[in-house]
Amino acid sequence: MSIQKTSLHEEHLSLNAKMAPFAGFDMPLQYSSVKEEVQAVRGNAGVFDVSHMGEFLVEGPDAVKFVDYIMTNDFKNAEMLKAVYSPLCRDNGTVIDDMIAYKLAENRILICVNASNIKKDWDWISTKTSNFNIKLENHSDDYSLLAIQGPEAENILKKAGILTGSQSFPYYSILETTHQGEKLIIARTGYTGEDGFEVFSSHVFAKKFWKQLLEMGVKPCGLAARDVLRLEVCYPLYGHELNDEITPLDAGLAWTVKLNKENFIGKSALAEYKPRFQLVKLSLERGIPREGYAVLDSANNTIGKVTSGTMSVVTGKGIAMALIEKEKIPSDKKYLINIRNTNYEANFHSKAFITGGHK
Amino acid sequence: MAHNIPSELKYTKDHEWAQIEGDTAVIGITDFAQSALGDIVFVELPEVGKTLTSHQTFGVVESIKSVSDLYSPVSGTVIEVNSGLQNTPELCNAEPYGSAWMIKVKLSNAQEVSSLLSASDYQNFLSTL
Repeated sequence: MSIQKTSLHEEHLSLNAKMAPFAGFDMPLQYSSVKEEVQAVRGNAGVFDVSHMGEFLVEGPDAVKFVDYIMTNDFKNAEMLKAVYSPLCRDNGTVIDDMIAYKLAENRILICVNASNIKKDWDWISTKTSNFNIKLENHSDDYSLLAIQGPEAENILKKAGILTGSQSFPYYSILETTHQGEKLIIARTGYTGEDGFEVFSSHVFAKKFWKQLLEMGVKPCGLAARDVLRLEVCYPLYGHELNDEITPLDAGLAWTVKLNKENFIGKSALAEYKPRFQLVKLSLERGIPREGYAVLDSANNTIGKVTSGTMSVVTGKGIAMALIEKEKIPSDKKYLINIRNTNYEANFHSKAFITGGHK
Repeated sequence: MAHNIPSELKYTKDHEWAQIEGDTAVIGITDFAQSALGDIVFVELPEVGKTLTSHQTFGVVESIKSVSDLYSPVSGTVIEVNSGLQNTPELCNAEPYGSAWMIKVKLSNAQEVSSLLSASDYQNFLSTL
């Protein structure tokens, strides 16, 4: 398959972004400096082209029932216009992907999935529709998606005329609006830990909007900054903390598995499942943990490995999430990380490395 | 993008530079290397006294997203290490040929110097990338 391009590809090239293949798309990794891009999102605002992500639309009388059935989290009781984060699991409880479902109406739901899993998700979800009165459509190629993230995001969207002052728009909710004759879906979501919005639109509008945001001084940010941002607030990323081999209960996502729901795919397996792994948060005073590095206990036994690691821009320390074999979790909370044949003592964190500013 | 390539230095295809002064070489990474890496946030260098052969790994430089080995352009013994880079790795971006020098090596085989790239050789090499 040839590499895909988002509608903003030329804009990225004209900004001299460092480009790299990601999930089949040629995507911007960084524009100026990862550090500056992270700082812009934490302190002001940045814009990401995340048009590579997938969008499925579920329409019909059974739309809510269907989405509630395919996800482990509770969708049925979510308020209208709310967004719900959830794993998507197989019958045996392993994770196909994680996603956000948006309740646009009782009979109309938008599902946003990871770019790398669009085909896998579609092949799974589209075979589960037979008992439901719904129409399922893959709109992944039809939408552009811009994420405007940071404490100034709301003010920027107001200045840009996209949001009016009067709308009530809480975090993790969605709004359908028409702007300059263009239908937009705006969600107060993102994956940075900051307040922010994701705007689903036509490709034509996205190009205009991107240029408008840049002219307003919003910093273009790439996938490298996005990865640091989500890791600083300890959001899992599929392919790292989540994968085909483990369940949500192995990755600290028990809060997204609602076993008291009437029925959903994976329910019986997850009800009986004894987690094999535990996701832990570790930092180093010196050195940078990287994906795949071994994690050891204080007696130097290997007990797990780093699933994501980077240098935190905010704390200036190496930070990591790691999957540890459940039965080997050290009761003294003393962890070591092996970097190039040397073991370094790690700090154990019970909370995320930083608290994002989202509302 | 044009990169700074001082004419008095020698270079390798691994993007290290060496400043040869008698029987010692001062070694660092090039402007091209720092620019390709982006924000450099961590540098790991050898201890004084370590013996290196040319092309051997002598340390590591890390950006936020990547880990890259450093290769010695020459053979010899490490006689001085710029330990200040531990606390100020960002100097590698700001002054790759100046304050961000990494190690000084006493050459054990001075003839190796002739196999290093001149500034114009390195410039030509970069244009092929």
